[in-house]
Parts: sequence; structure tokens; C-alpha cells
Amino acid sequence: MTRRDFSERDIHMALDGELPGEERMAYDAWLEANPEMKAKSVRYIADRAAMRAALAGVMDEPVPARLRQVVLGEAPAKASVWRSRWWLSAAAAVMLAVGGLGGYVAGVDSIARGESDDQLAEQAIAAHVTYAAEKRHAVEVPASDKDHLQTWLSNRVGLKLVAPDLAAEGFELVGGRLLPAGGQGKAAMLLYEDAKGERISLYVTAESSETSKGTYAAEAGGPEAVYWLDKGYACAVVGSLPPERLSDVAKSAYGQLLAGISS
Amino acid sequence: MDDKKAAILSEIPRLRRYARSLLRDRDSADDLVQDCLERALVRLDNWQTGESPRRWLFTIMHHLFIDQMRKVNRRGEAAMLPLEAGEAQAAPADQVETIASREIMDALQAISPDRRAALVMVAIEGFSYAEAANILGVPAGTLMSRIARGREELRGLLDDTSRRRTIRIVEK
Repeated sequence: MTRRDFSERDIHMALDGELPGEERMAYDAWLEANPEMKAKSVRYIADRAAMRAALAGVMDEPVPARLRQVVLGEAPAKASVWRSRWWLSAAAAVMLAVGGLGGYVAGVDSIARGESDDQLAEQAIAAHVTYAAEKRHAVEVPASDKDHLQTWLSNRVGLKLVAPDLAAEGFELVGGRLLPAGGQGKAAMLLYEDAKGERISLYVTAESSETSKGTYAAEAGGPEAVYWLDKGYACAVVGSLPPERLSDVAKSAYGQLLAGISS
Repeated sequence: MDDKKAAILSEIPRLRRYARSLLRDRDSADDLVQDCLERALVRLDNWQTGESPRRWLFTIMHHLFIDQMRKVNRRGEAAMLPLEAGEAQAAPADQVETIASREIMDALQAISPDRRAALVMVAIEGFSYAEAANILGVPAGTLMSRIARGREELRGLLDDTSRRRTIRIVEK
């Protein structure tokens, strides 16, 4: 029988079926002689069992139709809407976790890195992707209650918010909701819809300490954000419109927001 | 339906399980699977006869996952911060989970994406070290160290969680 020194590495190999068969007996004997190593092995086996149990149900779930359709070539025209949304939620999870670690991480650090414009745009896009797709639960307060919506969001966000009138651009207000904006901050989201059901959202927050403007898309083909940052307020207009149209809507919205804030 | 498509269809449940372990949230995981399937169909000709459809599809999906994680990292670097287990992401409401399942899934989300992928590939999906190293595109030694560190990290996170739970119970 081969005689060699075993180590922690062998615990993993044994667990993963990578330990040569002829070494198994010697390994087992080594494990018995080393209670600490044995405890580790037992623990890893238990953790693996828990992981497998937690994921076992997935195999029994019916395959979602949209996945079958992709393979069978029956992909609906909506397919491109889905594309690449998954990682946005991963990014959103990261942002949430950062928020959980304390506002100063998102606030101070990002300013130090000069990345708060990206961050604003990403938060605005993540919010748009999440809520604009909702048919019945897109907003907390509907446009029919516009006065209350404006008062409520203004109080929460700390800016005097007047929902821009975008009728000239073909958009009607659907309503709005309150969102977290990194750390302790809050943001207002105003959702608009045109006659074809195309939606855009305005994301406004007082959490801003640098001056910047630009456009940002998290992913080619995904919604784009046109944003402005100034000291004390920031705004992003997000939508999947042709660039020129989005830019026109955004300018109009920004102009009116600014007039409202400074009124 | 041709054989290739049939083979791809039969891999979907496994792809979904792998995606779920990587991303936790059900819709996000299925979005990743959908991206993977779309890319696979475009590249159907690259799939060499004899190559296992499972390995081919997992390779495609892994690339999609890691590419995006890197982009998220570069932009925010937030993913580099150690996330508190349990704060990483709330459990989807439509999913009934036991406390044990929730804790282990939370902990899994909190370890680094590279380690998570390596560990799941071997411990859940049952790939050999050689296969997993090939899919992930890393040397076997790197794979082994990711698995070992991943297990260590997971254990530490689970211990923290159970300690916190004990404290909560005591405080009541």
C-alpha cells in the first residue's frame, strides 16, 4: 500500500471523487487518526448536502416556455427585452448590499472615484428595468392623484418636484414611486407612457455633489439614460427610444424639473 | 426537431440549476439561461460532433456570467466588498424555502463569483476537476484552490449566520 502524507487538499479531492482508489484506505485511516481533519470533512459533506438540497427543486420545475421557445425557434418578438436583464439584477443586488454596509460606502467612495454619474445612471436604469415592465404595479401613486404624488415625493426626496408635462413629446404621466438612492438617500421615479405603450422614466434625487452630464447605457440594446448631475440634485431620463427622441424628451423634462426645483 | 436541439432542450433543467446557484433570483437566473441558449443557437455550427452538449452549454453560460460579473466589478467595484450573508439578496417571494436552504443560498451568493462557479460546478453539477477546469478555462491547480477557498469561505459565512441566529434567540 502506498504510504504518503495527506493534507487538507486530499479532503477536497476525496469529497469530489478525485482521490485515486488505491489511496482511499490510507486516506480513511489518516482521517480517523486526525479528528480535526475528520471534523472538516464531515462539515464539508454536510454543507454540500445542504447545497444540493437547496437546489434540488430546480430540476423538477417545469421549464419556462420562453426557454423552450428559444431552442425551438419560436422566440417571441419580446425576446430582446429579456436579454441581459439578469445581470442588472445582480448589479442591483450588489448596490443593495453596499447600501446595507453603510451609506458612506456608496456616497463617499463613489465620489472619491468620480463614478457617481455612472452610479446614478445605473440606479435609474435598474429602476426603469424593474418597474417600467410592470403593467399593474409600475407606480405607487397614479397620475390621477398628481397633486399628492408631487407633494409626497417632494417631501421624501427633499426637492420641490413638479412632474414635467411631456404631452408635446407624446408622453403622459402614469404615476410615480419612491426609491432608495444609495445610503440614506431617496429618489423619485416618475413614469410616462406614449400612445404606443412605450415607457420612459424620470429618476430624480437630491443625492449629488458633483457636476456632470452625459448618456449612459448599461448594455448595447438596453435602455439608455440621459443624465444631469449638479450639486444638490441629479436627474436621469431612461428609456429605449431612438437616441434623438430620448434626447429631446430628456431636455424638455430636465428644463421643467429644473424650473420646478428652483421655483 | 433535430437531434442537436433535442439535446439542448434536455440540458435546460441543469442549466437552470447552475444559473440559480450563481444568481439566486429565479427570473435573473432564467434570463441568464435564455442568453446562453440564444448564443448557443447562433453558434450551433461551432458545436463539434462528439462534444458533450452539457460541457458546451455550460462553457457558454459560464463565459456570459463571468464577463458580466467583471463588467459590474469594473464599474462599481462594489462586488469586491464582502457582502454580509443574508443581505445579498432577498429570497424570491414565490419560493418557499427552509431556513437552512435560505442560509446556504445566501452564503453561496456572498462568496466570490469565481469560487462559487468552481464549487458548484464540481459539488452540485458533478463535473470532474478536469472537466470543470476546462469549462472555466483555468488550470487544474487554480480550480482546486478556488474550490478549497470556496468551501472555507462558505463554512465561515454559515458559522457567522448561525452565531447571529443564536444571539437573536438569546436576546429574545
